Amino acid sequence: MVLELQKPRPIWQIMFSTHHTDVGLLYLITSLSFLFMGGALALAIRAELFFPGSQIIADSMTFNRIFTVHGTTLIFLFIIPFASAVGNYFVPIMVRYKDMAYPKLNAIAFWMIPPSGALIWLGFADFTWYATPPYSIISAPGPAADMWIFGLKILGVSSVLGAINFVVTILKCKHPDMSIGQVPLLAWSFLTSSLIIIVAIPTFAAALLMLLTDRLGVSGFFNPAMGGDPIAYAHLFWFTFHPEVYVLVIPAIGMMYEIIPRFSRKPIFSHSSGIFAFVLLSVVSFSSWAHHMYATGMSFTEKTVFMIGTLAAVPASAMHVFNFIATMWNGRIKFSTPMMWAVGGIALFFSAGAGGVVNAAMPLDFQTHDSYWVVGHFHLFVMGTIAFGSIGYLYYMFPYVTGRMYNENMGKVHFVMSFIGTVLVFFTQHVLGLYGMPRRVFDYPPIPEWITMNQIASVGAMIIGTSMVIFLINMIHSSAKGKLADTDDPFNLGGKYYYPFESKNPHHH
Amino acid sequence: MKSIFGLFLVLAILVIIPAVEYVFAAGDEPGGYLDRRVVIWNLFYRMMTVAFTVGAVVSGTIIWLCWRFRESNPKATPTPYEKEGVW
Repeated sequence: MVLELQKPRPIWQIMFSTHHTDVGLLYLITSLSFLFMGGALALAIRAELFFPGSQIIADSMTFNRIFTVHGTTLIFLFIIPFASAVGNYFVPIMVRYKDMAYPKLNAIAFWMIPPSGALIWLGFADFTWYATPPYSIISAPGPAADMWIFGLKILGVSSVLGAINFVVTILKCKHPDMSIGQVPLLAWSFLTSSLIIIVAIPTFAAALLMLLTDRLGVSGFFNPAMGGDPIAYAHLFWFTFHPEVYVLVIPAIGMMYEIIPRFSRKPIFSHSSGIFAFVLLSVVSFSSWAHHMYATGMSFTEKTVFMIGTLAAVPASAMHVFNFIATMWNGRIKFSTPMMWAVGGIALFFSAGAGGVVNAAMPLDFQTHDSYWVVGHFHLFVMGTIAFGSIGYLYYMFPYVTGRMYNENMGKVHFVMSFIGTVLVFFTQHVLGLYGMPRRVFDYPPIPEWITMNQIASVGAMIIGTSMVIFLINMIHSSAKGKLADTDDPFNLGGKYYYPFESKNPHHH
Repeated sequence: MKSIFGLFLVLAILVIIPAVEYVFAAGDEPGGYLDRRVVIWNLFYRMMTVAFTVGAVVSGTIIWLCWRFRESNPKATPTPYEKEGVW
């Protein structure tokens, strides 16, 4: 298997390498760095909201900057690069090819991320990750806003380049003996999510250019004073970013598809239904963008169409959950750290999905729109499903990357604390939304229920923060001084995996 | 045939009828939403009842699975695939 850290090399050999595992390692370290940076901002937000009134953040503008960079960082600089890290490591191995199809393009796609991260962090824009027009084009202070736009532009190009590479690697470079139906589900998750990226991202790329030219005053696409329409931006944005939700979640589900059969000591219950559900999700991801916009005065027919389009994702998601449950059934499950994260992720995926059905049902959406319910729902998906799947997979791939084992007890403590913290923060935020608290607020009136629930959420966030410190210590210490892992069977499960890892693959020696 | 009819009946009760009601509860005129608040909250509670019921069944199944099929359970036996050594 891949043991970069066990064979010490000068760091520039990794930095300037185009080999898929080296690029994967760069993606991994970058994404984890941004996880901790974005997470620190989340703790600042929750500390500020512990009591009504200004606590640790001076003014609402600074608060807006913090949650804008928090959201942008964790979505674009943690989740997507983390998925790319996993894909880079495992997709070529799974399809039995020596590298990604275009290794240099792969390295270029990665090296676009640090400068865009720098633009986002050095600018610290204040107009939310949605870049809300007309505020973003009329009065959002520059150069922060312009730096954010350029940062996102570069990230979009990086995503498209990475996606093209995954599609070509899987479809054109897979071993001739391997039919497309035999490609492992993790690789299928990258194929479907990459296709979504290729179709969806150009729309937002165009919207960003329009936003920029609007800011420069040479156009007025989204500027009402010049005859433009901010709602048009909402359509362009959500046409990209509702499918993008599936770009985030599909690889995480793919990672669960790797973990659950391994630790249940059984093959996946239905490989073909997993493929079908991925394809179905990728198609219906484009039929639901306007459910974010029920409150913008859409016609009854439009709302109905998008409500049904959104609910069409339910059967596909249920197929995944059923597949996981049926795989575990009659297994002999070893609850190592990766399995705990995967099972916790499934449970929270289901909860987040149930809340999503409420958002999708248009009359109910009017009750929850722009309230803390939406914050709770979105974060339950992003943290509870995507981050849980991703972190579980990080523990799973840790021995293959480093050649060493992480500390199992610390991993389990990390999971338990994160699970409790996630439930405390995001379930509470759902109820807070039903009590009427709007989202994106710096201050709130001293309503006793609001104060109590904000404090519960903040305590939950601190628990997650503490668990992440344990995680960081575990990763750093174990990668340097952890017990040497048996890379043929690091989790002591017995048996062999159904696809050839590097040690069995002549291309990787 | 009976089971298919039964399945459609359950789907109709759980999904189709509420979905039609949600659609028409919203109305089309801008001021209508407030007038329908009671109806919408009623739908909300019904939907949450369905969600919590299904959620309890699924979560309960997952918890039971984890308990019953964990490797430390005295009833745990090697899967057929372990004997073959490949899965």
